[in-house]
Amino acid sequence: MIRPLGRLLLLVAAIALLPLFVRPVVAAEIWIFSIAAMALNLIFGYTGMLSFGQATFFGLAAYTAGLMMIHWHAPLLVVLAAGTLVGAVAAAAIGYVCIQRVGTYFIMLTFGFNQMFYFIAYKWTSLTGGDDGLPGIPRPPLALGPLAVGLDSSLRYYVFVAAIFLLAFYAMKRIVDSPLGIIFQSIRENPGRAAAVGYDVKRYKWLAFTIAGGFTGLAGVLYSMMFGIVPLEAISWIISGDIVFMVLIGGIGNLYGPLLGAAAFKWLSEAVSVVWERWPLILGVALVLVVLFLRGGLVEALTRLREAVGGAPPRREPRQGAPVGVAAESEAGP
Amino acid sequence: MNISLFAGAILNGLVTGMLYALMGVGLSLILGLLNIPNFAHGVLYAIGAYVMVSTVKTFGFLAGALAALVAVAVLGAGIEALGVRRLSRVHPDYILLLTFGLSLILTEAIILVWGPVGITSQPPPLLAGSVDLGVTVYPKYRLAVMIVTAALVAVCYLVVTRTRYGAIIRAGIEDKDMAAALGINIRRVFTLTFAAGAGLAALGGALMAPVRGLQPTMGLDILPFAFVVVVLGGLGSLPGAILAGLLVGVVQSLMTAIWAPGADASVFALMTLGIIARPQGLLGHR
Amino acid sequence: MTGDVLLRTERLTCDFGAVRAVNGVSLSVARGKLHSLIGPNGSGKTTLFNLIAGEIRPSEGRVYFDGDDVTGFPSHRLPHRGLARCFQRTNVFPKLTVHDNVWGAAFSRRRPGALGFLRRASEFSDVEADVERILGEVGLAHKRSAPAETLSHGQQRALEVGVTLASSPRLLLLDEPTQGLAPEATQQMTRLVQRLVGRYTILLIEHKMRIVMSISDRISVMAFGELIAEGTPDQVRDNPDVQRAYLGGRR
Repeated sequence: MIRPLGRLLLLVAAIALLPLFVRPVVAAEIWIFSIAAMALNLIFGYTGMLSFGQATFFGLAAYTAGLMMIHWHAPLLVVLAAGTLVGAVAAAAIGYVCIQRVGTYFIMLTFGFNQMFYFIAYKWTSLTGGDDGLPGIPRPPLALGPLAVGLDSSLRYYVFVAAIFLLAFYAMKRIVDSPLGIIFQSIRENPGRAAAVGYDVKRYKWLAFTIAGGFTGLAGVLYSMMFGIVPLEAISWIISGDIVFMVLIGGIGNLYGPLLGAAAFKWLSEAVSVVWERWPLILGVALVLVVLFLRGGLVEALTRLREAVGGAPPRREPRQGAPVGVAAESEAGP
Repeated sequence: MNISLFAGAILNGLVTGMLYALMGVGLSLILGLLNIPNFAHGVLYAIGAYVMVSTVKTFGFLAGALAALVAVAVLGAGIEALGVRRLSRVHPDYILLLTFGLSLILTEAIILVWGPVGITSQPPPLLAGSVDLGVTVYPKYRLAVMIVTAALVAVCYLVVTRTRYGAIIRAGIEDKDMAAALGINIRRVFTLTFAAGAGLAALGGALMAPVRGLQPTMGLDILPFAFVVVVLGGLGSLPGAILAGLLVGVVQSLMTAIWAPGADASVFALMTLGIIARPQGLLGHR
Repeated sequence: MTGDVLLRTERLTCDFGAVRAVNGVSLSVARGKLHSLIGPNGSGKTTLFNLIAGEIRPSEGRVYFDGDDVTGFPSHRLPHRGLARCFQRTNVFPKLTVHDNVWGAAFSRRRPGALGFLRRASEFSDVEADVERILGEVGLAHKRSAPAETLSHGQQRALEVGVTLASSPRLLLLDEPTQGLAPEATQQMTRLVQRLVGRYTILLIEHKMRIVMSISDRISVMAFGELIAEGTPDQVRDNPDVQRAYLGGRR
């Protein structure tokens, strides 16, 4: 694949050029959901735990941030920190319960908890607005000491979101490059052996889940200020499912996969839903096709394309330390 | 809350509970054998209801229920043979995602065929009206549904525990490869079991249609509760699913009578407590 | 009881329902020695390993490692005490590279603290050095970048042992390291095991009698879950109970 520095430059270029191709609002959503997708990728792609309830943390953080800004006029950075914290703490609590079980059971528990919070949000209309959502969320200026930058225009907000995304991306990259990256992947590959070599698997899974919750919370906060409203959907399984799609469609276990997935997902949903209401049908079909025929997602598709065009033999032996996840299924030789 | 209301709530709880038990049993079979939470289980329930409603006008109630059963069972068989089976060599998470994708597709299909607006359905004339039970007055149809679903659940249980087919299923759940090695056509068993689970969901939908009405999202609405039932009952345990189904149904119904806003959340609170107190589920094994 | 006994089991018993897979096994492994465990298939050898290594809880009995009671410790605590085991069926991390397979195991006993986890994995030069040393020891240095699942069976067995060595244990539980290996690979593995003796204390499960007899300091024999004989290779070879267990009475 492309060398790491090249990939980074491509990313920065993509961030800079994206608003030329899509509306700043859509572009900002792409980076917001990229953060959430990266978080799921950490627990699913790297650690092997499929969570179908990430919207719990997305939504809880969004509501928390929204309420803080509406009632207390909390400043921007405080709200970002609070949302991230809420996401992490909720994930720590919920994760502790879910991680007691593995596989199918785990997935159903994450889904179940998501539903529980959804129902609470739905019924607690005085706090969340219920089905109508939580409106009237301001967009505080970015205040750094004496300097205050207003973020009212979509373009300015886009720049802010992109900057936060880059920070989040860097943080995620550091996590994945750290020993945790290998530990998490070892747990995915063989939890029994990971334990036998000395890792408390449950504790590390819990750690991954909590970290992912924090990142997802951050995304939730950014989302709350996107349209000035937190819709009920933000905490529903729909968002959970969307995030799963993004990771799957982009390419699991690869650091850039979730970004591709988020971009593809948002762009596609914008493009299709304008023409046809039945956008979820297309999504479902896309998901089924990816699952049946292209499990490595867009990353795999691009790799295959590059091989077909470049004619170079596929690299059988990935760089040491590179995430060799499910996405590399097609690369490992016979 | 007076005694009549209480009795009504309990009865409602048993009706819903039996439905949940039925859904739980179907889901448990599929989960136990194929090791996947069937995210399409809810939408199969929904399609059952819609097929029933379309058929009942022309052919009557019984035909409607039968049509629902057959149509969805066939659909289930198709899903297993064409989709699930292809992924049997790959990580089970992908099968889950397949069923999830299908649930979206099929929900949209419902909207395309039957429209986005909710429909109501009437019970058969024979079972219309209410019956006086002394402590309260209760709709005849609901009592009938309760009895019929209970019978269905009992039949399932007997089939799985007493018949040869059931033994094969249980063997397959224990050890697929061994079962295959013993010459059992494990593929056919998988397809049949998935079809059976789907059929059960469809019957649940068909029978409950007059009670709950129909909306395109009804499948996605009931799915989480079916999951709670299976998780609470213990994965792979049919008696567990039955017990959990009844428990969840009654708790939800009572909460609706006491404090309606908390009814749904209380189900999940119950699940959480259950998992913490007894991680393997009420009657689960591992 | 420390001194020269590193591992001691005391009437270790394991029931699977009505089946008693391991029945009152008491054995001691002397420090620095190669102690072999042999017996017909199904005699409970791997189950005994599982009991010692924390994969299963014993129904009765105790396990002492270097004098400490480690009975019932979960498997992830034992490497930190200095006990590591390899598995009969190759049990590595399939999609990770050979390097990363060993790296994870080599890192597990490090305690870098929270800040330490902020460093890149590649910056832990001491762990890197350990990995290189182990890969060299098991002969897989040339395959460091290959995903484990692409290795041949023999190479995977070598990796299996490498991962076991990586956590710097004092006691190795080796479960049939030569399992499924062709003659030449078997010789290589045997030489590897011999190189490890002395530096490590080894409890070895092995079926190939010639190997067992030639490299063991001491042999314990199991049959039907029980320890039926123990002694030096010569003593065991001449023991009629052992002959009966393996050959059913015939010579």
